[in-house]
Amino acid sequence: MLINNEFNEDKIQSPLQYTWSIFKKKSAAIVSMWGVITLIFFALFADLIVAHEPSTQYAQNLLLPPYWMEGGSTDHILGTDDLGRDSLARLIQGLQLTLGGGILITFMISLIGSVIGASAVLTKGIKASILHHLLDALLTIPTLLTALILIVLFGPSYENCLLAVSLSLLPQFIRGIYIAIENELSKQYIIALQLDGATNSRLLRFGIFPNIIEPIVTLLNRIFTMAVLEIATLGFLGFGTQLPDVELGSLIASSIDLIYLSPWLVFFPGIAIFLIIIIFNVFAEGLRHSVIEGEE
Amino acid sequence: MLKYLFRRLNLLLITAFILTVIAFMLQHWSSSSIDNRNYFMLYGDYMANIFQGHWGISSIDQRPLLNKGLIAFASTLELCFVACITSIIMAFPLGILAGLKRNGVIDYAIMSIALVGLAIPVFWLAIIMTMLPNSIGISLPVDGNISLVFEVPVISGFVLIDSLLAADQYQMRAFSDRVAHLVLPAVVLSFFLTTEIIRLTRHAITMVMRSNYIKAAYAKGLATKQIVLRHVLKNALPPIIHQIRLQLSTIISFAMTIEIVFSSGGAGVWLLTSIQEGDYLALPTAVLIISSFILLSSIIIDIVLMIISPTKRKALYADQ
Amino acid sequence: MALLDIRNLSIDITTAQGKVRVIDKASLTIVDGTIHGLVGESGSGKSIIAKAILGLHNPSWTVTADRMFLGTTDLSKLSSPDRRKIMGKEIAMIFQHPRSYLDPSRKILSQIKEVLPHSSVRSRFINIVKPKKEQSVMRRINELLHKVGIQNGRSVLDSYPYELSEGVCQKVMIAMAVANSPRLIIADEPTNAMEAVTQAQIFRLLYKLNQLHNTAILLLSNNFGSISDLSDYITLVYCGQTVESGSYKQVMESPMHPYTETMIKTILNFDESIDHKSQLYTLPGNIPSANQLPIGCRLGPRCPRAQRNCVKNPDVVNYKGHIIRCHFPTLDENKHANTSQRK
Repeated sequence: MLINNEFNEDKIQSPLQYTWSIFKKKSAAIVSMWGVITLIFFALFADLIVAHEPSTQYAQNLLLPPYWMEGGSTDHILGTDDLGRDSLARLIQGLQLTLGGGILITFMISLIGSVIGASAVLTKGIKASILHHLLDALLTIPTLLTALILIVLFGPSYENCLLAVSLSLLPQFIRGIYIAIENELSKQYIIALQLDGATNSRLLRFGIFPNIIEPIVTLLNRIFTMAVLEIATLGFLGFGTQLPDVELGSLIASSIDLIYLSPWLVFFPGIAIFLIIIIFNVFAEGLRHSVIEGEE
Repeated sequence: MLKYLFRRLNLLLITAFILTVIAFMLQHWSSSSIDNRNYFMLYGDYMANIFQGHWGISSIDQRPLLNKGLIAFASTLELCFVACITSIIMAFPLGILAGLKRNGVIDYAIMSIALVGLAIPVFWLAIIMTMLPNSIGISLPVDGNISLVFEVPVISGFVLIDSLLAADQYQMRAFSDRVAHLVLPAVVLSFFLTTEIIRLTRHAITMVMRSNYIKAAYAKGLATKQIVLRHVLKNALPPIIHQIRLQLSTIISFAMTIEIVFSSGGAGVWLLTSIQEGDYLALPTAVLIISSFILLSSIIIDIVLMIISPTKRKALYADQ
Repeated sequence: MALLDIRNLSIDITTAQGKVRVIDKASLTIVDGTIHGLVGESGSGKSIIAKAILGLHNPSWTVTADRMFLGTTDLSKLSSPDRRKIMGKEIAMIFQHPRSYLDPSRKILSQIKEVLPHSSVRSRFINIVKPKKEQSVMRRINELLHKVGIQNGRSVLDSYPYELSEGVCQKVMIAMAVANSPRLIIADEPTNAMEAVTQAQIFRLLYKLNQLHNTAILLLSNNFGSISDLSDYITLVYCGQTVESGSYKQVMESPMHPYTETMIKTILNFDESIDHKSQLYTLPGNIPSANQLPIGCRLGPRCPRAQRNCVKNPDVVNYKGHIIRCHFPTLDENKHANTSQRK
């Protein structure tokens, strides 16, 4: 085979490769990337991993502590709750619903929000102004209140909880992406593209999008964090999943009375939420830094 | 400047109008009365009632909703206010330090704490906090606004002020009891707020530190302390305030969640009990009260920013 | 006497793709009270040298120099606060895009006051007690503005930077630079993106400062023609290497380095007859990008006189103060002819 890399300085990496080459060098980012993959894996294949059904009640093993504490058993690694259900199985089910919901919401919001945000930037006049004022008004209502109102309107259930959270976070995303696109739109090279006769879709795809990756990553990270926290909060308040399904927030709520008796039932779901958010944030931060450094 | 004020007020009116429409739709839905008149007439009636102060009657205890809502929200605001002040005092120096020593050990330490603050669910931290007094053996109340022995008359709605006003009755005991009740919720809320402000401050400071005029200031031979005091802070403050303004509704959301865990009588508990008791009229009332508060305070912050920051005023000229 | 003496200044910048040596053994000697032109194409590293002199570099830069003396003080040995103290007194810098170098949130008056000696917070208190001192400060500021040719001083002082034009901002910058009567002013393409009249004004101002106050000026430019008439000494930089350095006469009349010869040819000379629509002279090729620098003499691939030796770093040759870094310098007309024939 002809080895032909004598002029390897001629090889110019594509932006994606370049970003990846920077990302690869950040150990925290790589660790968090594997963390994200593991979490998603857990959420997808929860049923195959856990040894116990989350709803099976082991009546002889009530309120078992985790196995490393006195009285714990390796049968139930994280112990059992007051009805004898396996904590780990319930935790993983909770993880599935909370994390899955968070990712789903982020995905839906980014799709719908980008379309609305982009079209708002590119249309001028009365339509854009109506959208603006509507957003202004919606943004002044705290997200918790919006979510509560929507839950009351739709009735409490997991799907409605997701819907309520998405709708309450949508204005924030639209506003964020609107500002990002508008900042980019006023730059000279966009004007040059416009003078070349680029259509709006071409302008968005090739002119604006590659240059707003960094704000988009920040925004998506923020929306995801808020979504997970809000799903958990609504679950905690009892407006999310209905029994027998559990989600991390409702898991905390169901064991709050037992906090002095077996505090780990409250600790573990909280730590799970904490880990989800930390891992995703470190990942997003690593990505963002790689994008910024790549641009410089 | 006047023109800007006028435009801002104009925006305020439009936004307020949209909010009243939302509240009206909620009201119409929740009262579920059958009325055959068209929506415009109904909206007119609704607005007339709003302006006259007839916001409806709570179906739980037959008290006027406006009154209940204001008292509940005042208690939430009190919590926010106390938490804001403590966290600003803590967060500004830390954020400035992190921004100046960017990528140093101190920066990483401060930013790790800030990341933890972002990731901990507020209600969970609140629950852990309710355990705290018991486990470390200090006596701090973990539920309610103020002990029931004190019957503080409602004058301003802010329990701190009211309990001070009731000093002739209970001396300072009512006030200190209220302060004790505020400690834990305020700690939880300010933990979140502190980390948020640290992040905002660090970002703003690093942005300013990168700019050319800071390089020029170094070239002039000024000491770092002088540069920070004279050039960095003045330019970093407006974006920080602007960002906090955008976070107002999140802060109130968090305060409401915390109140629910500590079952202190704020807007969160009020809304939750109203929903559980089927008193849905509380929702439009809450929307109107909370949003108008956020709306008014954002406009005040905007105007203050306009006064303290010449660069914002420049944007004003450019707009025209 | 040498005011600023730099020998073998090297700067490495760490990037994601590894270290890049942006400045490779650059040497610069500025004689007291002269105007020294530092000429190079954009991206050749002029600004980086200027920033390294002032110590304004990022942490990702590694700066090494065999010798870096300002007068008799060794700059590389000073701690950064000490160094900055000297900078304020002895060296001042003027930048391109002056407006971005002025604090946008403060009025010009307070920014000029800041650079005046003894304008600490304490002295501001004294000013309140003794208004006389305040008057003398104001007189000094007006004097400065008058010196740099700002007529409506009062309204300029009362403005924010965004309310002024780039030209006025540059004059303000110069006023701030000369406020402490420094021994050296570094002007980094001070007239970039300005209209011709303002350019002429700024250059005349710098020239006047040099003549009246005996201030040495290091003038950075990418345009050989615009500053060559002003400079007493000229140093040429190509891709981070100083290629030739000498007095105006030495460099202009008997250039030795092929790069200098090309640069001189690129100055449009309307005295000679140029054929209508004839091609103007340039070197073939482009400036290499910073991560693809050639080894040895960096002009190598573009040099008309390049030979095999050129992949090695040429030694510095000094002919009576005329310093060149080339394996095959033009030593005289004869030799020049020879080398071109050999090719």
